Amino acid sequence: MTGDRLLPRAYAFAMLVFLAVPLALCVLFSFTTSNSAAFPIPAFGFDWYARVAGNPQFQAAAWTTAEITVGCGAAATLVGLVTALGLDRLERRAAVAVLLVLCLPLMLPPLVLGLSLLTFFNMIGLKLGVAATILGHLLFTLPIVASVLYARLATMDGSAVEAARDLGASPLRAFATVTLPAIGPSLVGCMLIAMALSLDDFVIAFFVTGSNTLSTLIWGMMRTTLNPSINVVGSIIIAVSVAITALGLNVTRYRG
Amino acid sequence: MTARKIGSSQIVTALMLLPAAAIFLGLFVGSLAFFFVQSFWKASTFKVTPDFRPGNYLDVVTNYGEVLLYTLGVGVLVASLTTTLAFFFAYAVRFALGRLGDLMLAIALTTLFGGYLVKIYAWRTILGSDGIINSALINLGLIDRPLSFLLFNLGAVVVTLTHYLLPLAILPLYGALRDVDETELAAARDMGASRSRVMLDIVLPQVRPALMASFSVCFLLAAGDYVTPAMVGSPGNAMFGNFIQSQFGLRMNTPSGAAMSFTLIGTSLVLLTLIGAGLRKGLQPR
Repeated sequence: MTGDRLLPRAYAFAMLVFLAVPLALCVLFSFTTSNSAAFPIPAFGFDWYARVAGNPQFQAAAWTTAEITVGCGAAATLVGLVTALGLDRLERRAAVAVLLVLCLPLMLPPLVLGLSLLTFFNMIGLKLGVAATILGHLLFTLPIVASVLYARLATMDGSAVEAARDLGASPLRAFATVTLPAIGPSLVGCMLIAMALSLDDFVIAFFVTGSNTLSTLIWGMMRTTLNPSINVVGSIIIAVSVAITALGLNVTRYRG
Repeated sequence: MTARKIGSSQIVTALMLLPAAAIFLGLFVGSLAFFFVQSFWKASTFKVTPDFRPGNYLDVVTNYGEVLLYTLGVGVLVASLTTTLAFFFAYAVRFALGRLGDLMLAIALTTLFGGYLVKIYAWRTILGSDGIINSALINLGLIDRPLSFLLFNLGAVVVTLTHYLLPLAILPLYGALRDVDETELAAARDMGASRSRVMLDIVLPQVRPALMASFSVCFLLAAGDYVTPAMVGSPGNAMFGNFIQSQFGLRMNTPSGAAMSFTLIGTSLVLLTLIGAGLRKGLQPR
């Protein structure tokens, strides 16, 4: 029976190594003092972090990325909440159908989505930049936020809201004092997940931002020089998105 | 159930759904529709003029037909490999690993977020001629000169895409396997069904929609990718996405790029429909 127990363990472990080791190596080599991301590592230090932090291109890209990430998180959560509340007033079957349609942009290759947005923005005369990128990112963050919040609202006990209304609370007051506290954790979690997804995107940002975000900065660096400063920017993206996601999943207690 | 809904007029409901509808119709449907219309326009030097030229699509097929077939092939290869690896991982987590499985699943899903470009860069530094594998092997004295076959070929593209897509493929498969009833499997085994019988007749038919979902997502993202082949692939083996993107460089040939995009989506959907039908036929519950 040992083979029966060993094989699945060994296989799952091998898959985890395959998934995690490249990212771990990227982080490891961000701390090298050498000029290349290769062995041997002469010493560990924050040399490359200091160099990247002083780079004005990095500062500009980090600021743009922060604006997009926060803007997208806020917009997706706000619109997602209103959408989920609206869907909750429909029949369940209709609501699920609407959600499926909203999810269609997730099935399109990002290249095609990015190019059609670029062409469209040029036609209507919308300037490329932070606002255009937030609009683009809404297409794939909104369906996820709306789905999670709708699922939360659908399983909520409606009698508490009814009781508040019976006791004379206005619809708005009932929402603010009963519904909002109940779905609060989901709301925060959704916002964090939307931010992580926005931070991860490269292709759409590449076409519609017009200036550098952190991921398009990496793209530019990869084409000119290959040195550990890319590892530093990469490690920052990994750290921020993993932290945001872990916090988000923990807050919502999302399972599976 | 309708009684608890506040202010149950339909106008309020419609108003609440309006922002999402505006974003979906205005941005997604609007931009795709305009892109589709442009695929019939005429491109001349520095200018794009409205026209009706279905011939744009014919040009795509004659000029890029071979690249398209190659790209769809890479997509099928990556999607099959990733879905298979993901299925057995999800299966091990669901049926064999107990509490350890929860931890392993959490770690696997954390790698979902690591940045698409960061992952491609990571593989480039691992496989490159002065990269991690080569520098380690040279330092250990196992080789004299760098192994050059690691990077800039189809193998590197497949490995990098599989690495990026694997956590994405695990998600729906684990969700579906969680709903598979363990007692049913045990019963079949008790009645003498072999391991492969149980897998083919009970497990796989039950998770078929999730298999198809994982496969489709992996296929669409792999076949539509242009960054991975540009960064870790060989210049001679560019994929369809690289040619789409190059229409938007200095040439700015939007009609041609649009026609290529819709050709890719159209052929992808036909292929996925066929594969879906094949799976439905092959995986009948018994």
